[in-house]
Amino acid sequence: MFDADKFIQEAIASVKEKTQGRAIIACSGGVDSSVSAVIAGRAMGDRLLAVFVDTGLMRKGEAEEVEAMFSDTGINFKSVDASKEYFDALKGITEPEQKRKAIGEKFIRIFEREAKEFGAKYLVQGTIAPDWIESGDGVRDTIKSHHNVGGLPKDMDMTLVEPLRDLYKDEVRQVARKLGIKSSERQPFPGPGLAVRCLAEVTPENIAVVREACFIVEDEIRKAAEAGKMKVPWQYFAVLLPARSVGVQGDRRAYGRTIAVRAVESIDGMTAAHSDIPLSVLNSISQRITSRMKDEVNRVVYDITDKPPATIEWE
Amino acid sequence: MKVYIIDNGGQWTHREWRVLRDMADARIVRNDTPPEDIADADALVLSGGAPSVASDAERMGRNSDYLEMDVPIFGICAGMQFLSEHFGGTLGPGEDPEYGAVELTVTSHDDIFRGIPSTIEVWASHNDEVKTVPEGFDVTASSARCRVEAVRCRDRPIFGVQFHPEVENTQYGPEMFRNFLGIASRHRKG
Repeated sequence: MFDADKFIQEAIASVKEKTQGRAIIACSGGVDSSVSAVIAGRAMGDRLLAVFVDTGLMRKGEAEEVEAMFSDTGINFKSVDASKEYFDALKGITEPEQKRKAIGEKFIRIFEREAKEFGAKYLVQGTIAPDWIESGDGVRDTIKSHHNVGGLPKDMDMTLVEPLRDLYKDEVRQVARKLGIKSSERQPFPGPGLAVRCLAEVTPENIAVVREACFIVEDEIRKAAEAGKMKVPWQYFAVLLPARSVGVQGDRRAYGRTIAVRAVESIDGMTAAHSDIPLSVLNSISQRITSRMKDEVNRVVYDITDKPPATIEWE
Repeated sequence: MKVYIIDNGGQWTHREWRVLRDMADARIVRNDTPPEDIADADALVLSGGAPSVASDAERMGRNSDYLEMDVPIFGICAGMQFLSEHFGGTLGPGEDPEYGAVELTVTSHDDIFRGIPSTIEVWASHNDEVKTVPEGFDVTASSARCRVEAVRCRDRPIFGVQFHPEVENTQYGPEMFRNFLGIASRHRKG
């Protein structure tokens, strides 16, 4: 079986061996990048700078949460607000692969800038196995370009260090628990953020809609789990669909947008089954979204496909 | 025990490694690796792959050379399709393709399915399927939508499954690999 202690020792030794000089690490606050940061921090000490980029595509309260988490670790930390840059780069794009490529490109340019300022030659990333598997290679079809692999431009001038490359989410969590990392049980959140949950153009307005819907889904499910109505799914969120439909709100015709609710059970993200959420909980989600967000959304649907044939995220 | 996993480009090749590494010295190799470089193999796994084997055979690299090696071989998904065609079977698109959960009916418990119940849930993901099995092969499991879910060669320790024993959702997946490695271990001792 997987031995988290042994892995930690070997990973620290391997980062030490591979890096001379300074490095930066991309931190989203998620479990993969946090574990990578702590491992790299133990290997490199002050030679490491953790950078959090606020892409404008994060969930509610996420930027503040990440900052608070890193202030506890003793790792050098910097936060960069790049939301305007991201929205500019995503203007007019709706095709999912183009979207992921644009985000990957932006991501690396920002990190090159930060690396230059810090004098770093290495970029440490929390890439895990599904990221590079789904990104495709010589023999493998591209299912989706994960921004930290398939979205990277070819001419980037930093050396990549990926201590978690051969791990899956459940193993990363085991390592996170050993290291005492707070986000160890946090649900997965995709690198490109809410952009891949927005099937329309990625504008600040559209992202605000999907952000609020995601928050409601998370909050209702958390409450239902606390009340013993269900267990917390492996991953759960909302997706904004590019479809409008007719509704009626207080005798007035509505022609609003559609939110899909997605919740799945999985171990490693490589296969997944849709969650069996009680109808009463789905109903609370639907009512809260369609009343609090009545100006935007008048229809809520629940996605009941597994992976395969679907993937967990919609893009 | 040395097991090479021949990477035919499947989404779950690395998962095969994850399951096998706890049981043996398992390594993933590209499917154009010269057979002499893996001559120390005690067993081979031919992984699944993105290509449609029937139309995309050139993407299957040197799989036909590996099938000449005197070691137990376990073909998964595209790996099973390739070995079936190689030994004279035929392939074609499934009429009702299987993605996700499938109820498997096991008809032979002699080798890969030793100690495993006759009805279990497995997960599959394939467009093509084996239509007729090669001469000298038996069908060892079926499902309602796919008749050839597993095959066995009568003369050599060659096995194939259409579904994916390496994914978490497949019941008794690790047991199937353990059974295969048991066969490989007995084969090595002669």
